[in-house]
Amino acid sequence: MSAARFSARFYVAAGIVAAVLLFGLVAPLVFRTHQVGDVVGGLYDHPSAHAWLGTDNLGHDVFTNLMYGTRTSLLIGLVAGAIATLLGVAVGTLAGYRGGAVEEGLMGFTNVILAIPSIVVLVLISIALGTRSTLTLAVVLAVTSWPWTARAVRAQASSVRTREHLDVARLSGAGTFSLICYDVVPYMLSYICMAFVLQVSGAVLNEAALSMLGLGPSGGVSLGIMLHWALAWESVRTGAWWAFVPPTLLLTLLAFALLMLQSSLDELFNPRLRRHARRRRTARPAALPLPVERPVPEGAAE
Amino acid sequence: MTEKSAPQPTRRQFLAGVSLAGAGAAFGGTLLTGCSSGGGAGGKRGKTLFVAGFQWSPPTTFNPLNPNAGWPTAQDNMQLVFETLFGFNLLDGKLEPQLGSKLTAPDDHTLQVTLQPKATWQDGKPVTADDVVYTLELAKSHPEVPFGSFFEYAKSVTATDPHTVTIELDAKQPNPGMVKSSLATVYIMPQHVWAPIEQKTKQLSEYPVTKPVGSGPYKLDKFSASQLAYTRNDKYWGKAVRGKLPAPQYLVHPIFKDNSAGNLAFERGEVDVMQQFTPEIWKMWQDKHEPVGTWYDKAPYQVPGSIPMLVVNTTKKGLDNPKVRRALAFAIDYARIAKTAMSQYSDPARSSVILPRGVEEQYFDAQNVAQHGWKYDPAQARSILENELGAKKGSDGVYKLPDGTRLGPWSAQTPTGWSDWQTALQVVAESTKEAGFDISTKFPQQAQTTTAVQNGNFDLACWYVAGVSAASPWQRFRDVLDSRGVPKPGTSAFYNYGRFHDARVAPLLDRAATQTGAEAKQTYGELDRIFMANAPMIPLVYRPLDFYEFNTGTWSGFPTAKHPTAPPQFRGAGIDWLYDLKPTTK
Repeated sequence: MSAARFSARFYVAAGIVAAVLLFGLVAPLVFRTHQVGDVVGGLYDHPSAHAWLGTDNLGHDVFTNLMYGTRTSLLIGLVAGAIATLLGVAVGTLAGYRGGAVEEGLMGFTNVILAIPSIVVLVLISIALGTRSTLTLAVVLAVTSWPWTARAVRAQASSVRTREHLDVARLSGAGTFSLICYDVVPYMLSYICMAFVLQVSGAVLNEAALSMLGLGPSGGVSLGIMLHWALAWESVRTGAWWAFVPPTLLLTLLAFALLMLQSSLDELFNPRLRRHARRRRTARPAALPLPVERPVPEGAAE
Repeated sequence: MTEKSAPQPTRRQFLAGVSLAGAGAAFGGTLLTGCSSGGGAGGKRGKTLFVAGFQWSPPTTFNPLNPNAGWPTAQDNMQLVFETLFGFNLLDGKLEPQLGSKLTAPDDHTLQVTLQPKATWQDGKPVTADDVVYTLELAKSHPEVPFGSFFEYAKSVTATDPHTVTIELDAKQPNPGMVKSSLATVYIMPQHVWAPIEQKTKQLSEYPVTKPVGSGPYKLDKFSASQLAYTRNDKYWGKAVRGKLPAPQYLVHPIFKDNSAGNLAFERGEVDVMQQFTPEIWKMWQDKHEPVGTWYDKAPYQVPGSIPMLVVNTTKKGLDNPKVRRALAFAIDYARIAKTAMSQYSDPARSSVILPRGVEEQYFDAQNVAQHGWKYDPAQARSILENELGAKKGSDGVYKLPDGTRLGPWSAQTPTGWSDWQTALQVVAESTKEAGFDISTKFPQQAQTTTAVQNGNFDLACWYVAGVSAASPWQRFRDVLDSRGVPKPGTSAFYNYGRFHDARVAPLLDRAATQTGAEAKQTYGELDRIFMANAPMIPLVYRPLDFYEFNTGTWSGFPTAKHPTAPPQFRGAGIDWLYDLKPTTK
């Protein structure tokens, strides 16, 4: 695969994601004037040379909060995305590969979970937990968002199951586990990769939604928590734009970039979707093949 | 998709049409609701006073015995429909005549109330001493009513003649303050309406009332999920006494979704006067030049009326040590709480159960507080921990007492949505962390927090104690220090939630109950020293009894510190300003 095959969209999206990652992971090591929790002023002080983005309702530096908040949001997104993808792939592959009663059972369960609005489950679990660490929240987000991945992966796996190379592997005496690990999953990696990107963006947004309701990780700062306090202290009415614009912008940017990254990856992995390919065939646009099934997680719409 | 030749709308045109129609309907709807909530045409807005900040959910009943009755019929909201005998004035501490015209004390354990001779119910029948006796005696037959503890302090209530009520106090333990406080907060109810209801209803407080009959100047007109509307009763008996009626002919309380919706409506002039926490209210007149005002035109803007406390559970290991509690008290940055969490509506809290401004100032002993109390001083907190307690700081930055007790992890809780108190606790958590405590915040639902606090199932909590009233500061001292009548953890307590006990408190409280002036100041000083030595609760900030904010876009004449024609409150004597309002001339 040569670099020329990446579209411009991919570079833009990857660039934004990399910038946000850098901001969340490296910036706190570079800008060390203020630490999280340092009191640098009063209630919603204007931006100044001392506090670049002003202060929040507690007199904390908004810029510092933004760096550490981005870090928390990314951490939750990545951990929750990884766990959710792992769960989804495990359930989907097993169901798709084995078929029969196992498939019926697992997919039945998945469909039941899918039918329950995940935000309701999220809110209920978060209330029940009382105090929530960053990791607990990531796990809670993961266990409510894997079903769509499982369903999509099952479709892929049951198509891979019928390919000839599996017969060859079976004839050479490979066991089920080895078959799944070496002969099924690798053929779906491109899809899993995209599902992961979507899961991360979904988790980041769901974390923000929960935190805005006041159910975010306790004793820390995340982009959603910043928005929660900005709303509670009516920064919109009092004109303290620095309290709510930066976290909103960052969240939007991150979610947008991740979705764009996912769709440009789709283009890359699925040759039929490539734009230059489409350009060559402009004569018959109606003949364009439909994209593969790619459900959007419920939370991503928010 | 194939193109059709017939002039049928395309899918795109159809969708555009639908969305246009939708937008049109939404716009029309806004216009319609705008009319109805704005009071309609014909200058009705100019005759209507919009009030906010008391009602947040659709009203179900207007039964004054129900604590969740619709505004203003729950006890001591505002004397609009039902009235109390006297109205407490938070500026001078006096009881102003309401249904009662005179309060006398013939001897140490008797109080006598003379009723307004012309007072009538809204249905025309006279208000008599029997109505007063009937209402107060509900505390005996229906102990679930909000004033159920009335007979803890009073022995009997009798109608001496149709316009005189005599109240005998408990001779062994007289407490005139608590009885007077009840006389200023209990709405008097008509016996001829309630006696028949009582016969057929067991739980009187649960009886649904949708047409309340009171003695006040306003009648309930209608109510819905979005507002409560009242109309002036032009036959109000008080017109003869005051010489005039309240200025607004109509009174509406819109029910907002939350604080910020109410604040926005207030800023736009859709609400005239309200009781809401409004962060940075001064920006409304400084930056936006809206005709908005508060009692003081500069910080603290509001008159302090209560003290939100950091209640410490004195039964928890570690927190049971008074020195640990004192170190905690020295570690909290009170000025920062006042500045951020309370949006400058408070002075930094002092280490006293007594309010340093207003009526209680006469009892506040600044020297006593300076000598025995605490203030924000991390060095002193460290000195208590290291030198007096011999605590050692662990590698995690948290102190451990010599017996191995770690100063945490403790949680500090208050209900979610009480944003000012939540922020106050965040400041507590941050500033005590620097001093070597391990305290985290926790914001459960309100019902959950209430149960936890009352049952003693908490470490630290931000909670309220008695505000300024005819019984303060006595009642607040009881709330903070008295262990009598406080059950063990696991059963609901209604004061002293941290289960503090000190044998010296009870006799001092009994003595203070009958004292006045310098004697009372001395006894309260002794109680305050017990408080300061033990820190069972830590005053975090000062809060007004009612927040008081007005917008003079439609009505003017609201009292301020410069024109103190009435106290800045809605309850009690706050009714006075309603008579002084004038339509704003534009």
